[in-house]
Amino acid sequence: MNPGSAVPVDLAPTRGASARAEDGAARADPGRVLADRVEQLYGPMPLGMLANLLVGGIATYELWDERTRDLVLFWWGMVLLVTAARAVLYFGYRASARKADEAGQWMRWLGISALASGVNWGFAGAVFFPSHTDEQQVFLAFLLAGITSAGIPAYAASWPMFAIYAGVIVLPFTYVLANFGNRLFTEIAFLVPIFYLINVAIAYRLNRVFLSGYRLRHAYDRLTEDHTRLNKQLEQQIEELLEARQEVEASGRKLSLFAERAPIAVFEMDANSTILEMNPAAEHMLGYSTLELIGRSALNTLFPADEATLTPAWWADFVARREPASRIRTRCLRRDGLDVDCEFTITPLVNEAGDLVSIIAQCQDITQQLEAERLKKEFTATLSHELRTPLTSIIGSLQLVNSGVVGDASGEVTELAAVAERNAQRLLDLINDLLDIDKIESGKFALMPENVRLSDLVQESLILNKSYADRFGVKLEVHGEVPDVSLHVDRKRLMQVMTNLLSNAAKFSPEGSAVEVGTRCAEGVVRVEISDHGPGIPEDFRSRIFTRFAQADSTTTRHKGGTGLGLAICKRLIELMNGRIGFQERPGGGTIFHFELPVPADAAAT
Amino acid sequence: MPERPLLKISYVEDDDDIQRIARLSLERVGKMEVQIIGDPTLALEGIRAFQPDLVLLDWMMPVMDGPTLFKRMRETDGLQAIPVVFITAKASHRELEELRGMGAAGVLSKPFSPKDLPEQLRAIWRELP
Repeated sequence: MNPGSAVPVDLAPTRGASARAEDGAARADPGRVLADRVEQLYGPMPLGMLANLLVGGIATYELWDERTRDLVLFWWGMVLLVTAARAVLYFGYRASARKADEAGQWMRWLGISALASGVNWGFAGAVFFPSHTDEQQVFLAFLLAGITSAGIPAYAASWPMFAIYAGVIVLPFTYVLANFGNRLFTEIAFLVPIFYLINVAIAYRLNRVFLSGYRLRHAYDRLTEDHTRLNKQLEQQIEELLEARQEVEASGRKLSLFAERAPIAVFEMDANSTILEMNPAAEHMLGYSTLELIGRSALNTLFPADEATLTPAWWADFVARREPASRIRTRCLRRDGLDVDCEFTITPLVNEAGDLVSIIAQCQDITQQLEAERLKKEFTATLSHELRTPLTSIIGSLQLVNSGVVGDASGEVTELAAVAERNAQRLLDLINDLLDIDKIESGKFALMPENVRLSDLVQESLILNKSYADRFGVKLEVHGEVPDVSLHVDRKRLMQVMTNLLSNAAKFSPEGSAVEVGTRCAEGVVRVEISDHGPGIPEDFRSRIFTRFAQADSTTTRHKGGTGLGLAICKRLIELMNGRIGFQERPGGGTIFHFELPVPADAAAT
Repeated sequence: MPERPLLKISYVEDDDDIQRIARLSLERVGKMEVQIIGDPTLALEGIRAFQPDLVLLDWMMPVMDGPTLFKRMRETDGLQAIPVVFITAKASHRELEELRGMGAAGVLSKPFSPKDLPEQLRAIWRELP
């Protein structure tokens, strides 16, 4: 269903009937009106031809006279000839398949035939009237008058045709009457053109009536057609509307089903926070039945008086702004007087005209979620303090033993103490890494940026990690010259990244090899590369190397140590500093880890 | 930088084991004179009696925590001028900033390395006005 496809229907019923008739006449097709007129003119032709033959026959019989025999015979021959021609014309018209399209042509032919017929009778009047007796003259005059007036209905559909037809009958007759030398005939000759004009006027009027009749008929046809079409359109639109209504009803049922079964409380409210509707989850959450709450103000009923978030002022502001509000945490009063911690998402429904139709509020009981958040916080604090405190003692004691401050121990004792210290340190690293990841992922991590010279950073990182690398018999070297630039970064955290990458590289390098630190600076970006000669990163591990607890091989962990969090933390730290981190295979074996950091425009080389 | 070397340290810390390690570290490695105070409520008198060059304060202690003790010291005549270094397992930036804002001379994180502790304290000492 596409409402856009519906044709707009103009059903304005206000205009008057006369206006509609004029409108209708204007809507008539002139071509079709002409065709109708021609049809009307050809219709009475057989009757006319019959009348001509009959009247012509009687006239020939009555006017038969020795003196004028040849003339009468000629005349009768002409009548027969014209009638035959008219018959041919008539049957030609009847047989024509395109008479409507060629109406003008048929009209002209008919005009010529009317002229010929009129000329015949005019001839009779002009030639036979003077040469015959008084009785025959009366007969002829009567005949001519009858033949002329019979033309009115016959040619009513075209008054000019009647005017020509009657004109050629009347004109010669009038001439003869005027020149007869008889006073009475002269008077008649004076009257005949007047009668003629009156007849033409009548024909004209009749013609007009016919014309408007045709026009109205066509207009009516048109209107009927339009009406039928409109009716069809209306039917189609009604059908579409019905379909649309069914669809709307179906989606309405779907929506109400969603609301009914949803585990989230849903309220519909008006601009005054009056509750219009609510779902079973809302009943369950608040302990009210729907009937109890509908019609009551949510602001006055659902929130404690000392509620600071969802206040009437907030609500007024929300209604004025008409923008959705989400993650609004507040306390809600249950029916039993207890309150629950809730999180609201409130959405205003605004129609196309910009009016606020209603307000949909979705609400979740987040008491348990808050409790979980509190527990997590507590756990993190415990991890931070309670685990570190004993580790302080353990690592401290072992360091004191191992450094010989408290006296020399035997070889095996030193060896075991070193194992204990290393593993205690590993435990501490894990705790620190876990805390870091937690802080970064909860968004509580704040960097403390300062200006750091790249060369200082590289040198310091090599010094800090030298002893670790020594354990694996690996040398740390700077490759090439370090660009003289400063970075605006968190020094301690960037050092953490360097330490991670260097210690990883050292850990996986073969004894006696070197880990190289390369640096370059181009287009406002510093790139630091740390390459090793290790075994490279296994294919199947590459995609998850920066994810948490990712380690290529669980046996490596035991052999080499590490928490599996280091690279995940590095990635997050570098990204927090608006940089990028990655790795590639080193040509000739090994891996190159790199990170890129932006160089501040004003902190370039000095 | 103060003219005399850093020699006398008071360390307020409730954990017995850490007390022992810190003492060993500062005495054996750092060759310093150390006073350990286990009960923070007795710290003010102890410090007044010992007159250390520098006070090392644990952050989290029962009854009275490090920051509270630090405030008390700042309110107590004769103890106001003694530089204070916090040693804490808490490590959030915000809290460290808070401590510095309160006028702490430095902050060390736990676990500390007993090998390096004396040198770390001397580094802070050298930075003092």
